[in-house]
Amino acid sequence: MAAIETSDSSILVEGLVRDYAGVRAVDGVDLEVAAGEIYGFLGPNGAGKSTTVRILTTLLRPTAGRAVVAGHDVVSGASGVRRAIGVALQEASLDPLMTGRELLRLQGALHGLRRREAAARGEELLERVDLVAAADRRLATYSGGMRRRLDLALALVNRPRVLFLDEPTTGLDPASRAALWREVRALNADGTTVFLTTQYLEEVEQLAGRVGIIDQGRIAAEGTPSELKERLGGPALHIDLVDLGRTEEARAALARFGPCTDRPGGGLRVRTPEGARAIAPVVRVLDEAGIAVDAVEVDLPSLDDVFLALTGHRAVEEDAEA
Amino acid sequence: MSAVALERRPAVQARVIVALAQRALAVQLRRAQFLIPALVLPLVLLAVIASGTSAGRNLPGFPTSGSYIGFVIGGALLQGALLAGMTAGTAMAGDIEGGFFDRLLAAPVHRASIVLGRVVASLVVGAAQACLFLAVGLIFGADYAGGVLGVTAAVVLTAMVAGAAAGATGALALRTGSVELLRNFFPMVFVLLFTAPAFFPRQLLSPAMHAVTRFNPLTYVVEGIRAVLHDDRALGSPAAGFACAAGLLTGATALAVLAMRARTRGA
Ligand SMILES: Nc1ncnc2c1ncn2[C@@H]1O[C@H](COP(=O)(O)OP(=O)(O)OP(=O)(O)O)[C@@H](O)[C@H]1O
Ligand SMILES: [Mg+2]
Repeated sequence: MAAIETSDSSILVEGLVRDYAGVRAVDGVDLEVAAGEIYGFLGPNGAGKSTTVRILTTLLRPTAGRAVVAGHDVVSGASGVRRAIGVALQEASLDPLMTGRELLRLQGALHGLRRREAAARGEELLERVDLVAAADRRLATYSGGMRRRLDLALALVNRPRVLFLDEPTTGLDPASRAALWREVRALNADGTTVFLTTQYLEEVEQLAGRVGIIDQGRIAAEGTPSELKERLGGPALHIDLVDLGRTEEARAALARFGPCTDRPGGGLRVRTPEGARAIAPVVRVLDEAGIAVDAVEVDLPSLDDVFLALTGHRAVEEDAEA
Repeated sequence: MSAVALERRPAVQARVIVALAQRALAVQLRRAQFLIPALVLPLVLLAVIASGTSAGRNLPGFPTSGSYIGFVIGGALLQGALLAGMTAGTAMAGDIEGGFFDRLLAAPVHRASIVLGRVVASLVVGAAQACLFLAVGLIFGADYAGGVLGVTAAVVLTAMVAGAAAGATGALALRTGSVELLRNFFPMVFVLLFTAPAFFPRQLLSPAMHAVTRFNPLTYVVEGIRAVLHDDRALGSPAAGFACAAGLLTGATALAVLAMRARTRGA
């Protein structure tokens, strides 16, 4: 009984819960992704991103709630989901003893292609991800970036309507990351709906039309990147004082501009919707109070700020080494 | 696009099974350490037997047809088939541990096809290995009175045992997902071999062992192999051999399919 109320290439998730013996990894997630969107699923280690992806790609069953992908329920219509989607899991599931070409052909066969069709599609994709030269090498000899590219190519064998990418750029260098972003944009331009998880704020800012922030199995916030930034009340000014001893005085003087917090290295941070336009008044107020200013900088809010504000911790802790 | 799901189209699933079997064979060939036990152990055994103590054959009750090497080659085939089939389970557990399995499960593939791909690959390995062993046996002086038909029948029986071992160990792999556990299972091969009269005729075993061998279906398979190879019904019953091999193959494959179902339902 595939649910038909959703469009062919969209995702609908309602009250999704998943427990692993004693651990609630996903704790009541609701989300909706429209056809043709790139949806960024952003969260720190252990937030429940991969668990959600595994449920949406039929690899795991939900403990409660339901999910419809490309018009099919992930449990009762798993077969239809599998036919419509492409997946690149977080741990690229590659066999080190196979070659890129072999694996692409196998993937084609798994999707019902005839031998010749699978071979042709494989060649096409090898070219697309620039792996023609390495096609006959065993995957054990591929670099991290090559593996990611192959994994993406494998996910595209069946021309999926919905593409799931679980942390596709983790561990990639900036050039490889940019190349993958280009590829994702191109796929999206061709109409592919993309559900992408990441720990990188920059990635969702670059790619995603909408972002869901997941923390401890729950959606902490959802919206376009700019909507999320707006929730913070606009940009902030970073103010360095010549004399740190006068910080409290400065704070009192600046209170009327907006919420004022300490900066880690000393100095203050004033969040004000005025942004750069507030620089002159801020300096004037401090000058009138006889407080010398060393530097003023405008800090446009990043999703990291959103993350901090919403979850009480940063998206990527300093020790993060996935 | 047809309305019938890919999983339900026999022609598509036949291609899937062939593709998965091909992949299993290619990878197995590249994984030398997997091949060594399956090939070398039985060959060493053959060599030792051929060069050394063939005193056994002077014991009363020992069959007279064929040479001793011709007699024990049935045991060597059985051993090779069990070892080769076991590597299928280990490889499957490796796929599960390494995440390759997720790729298969995320594809619109009938769950049974994944199991059958492994079993089919093991049938092929078992048959190829049987041909090799029988050729080596020839070099060491065995003769096969059963001729082409007998040799073919022996090859088929051996292949079936390899497929059955793949199904049984595949079921274990699907239940546990642990390469470690499959490795620890390795000695079972020897229990199975020694509770079947793989290297001695049943009549020479102690009464207790003799009783045990009656309950090991491999007893009838190895006796059947000898019977067809040497065209001598005194060595065993080909019909019983085929019946047992077919039973083991279908039973073990069914177990693996059930284990697959349990695994994906409980995911
Ligand atoms: N197979 C499992 N058994 C038990 N607990 C699990 C299992 N897989 C995940 N978990 C737990 O579920 C929670 C969510 O894990 P998940 O892998 O979904 O997070 P994630 O957001 O993908 O993290 P990461 O960024 O590290 O990949 C974590 O607490 C994790 O420890
Ligand atoms: Mg993850």
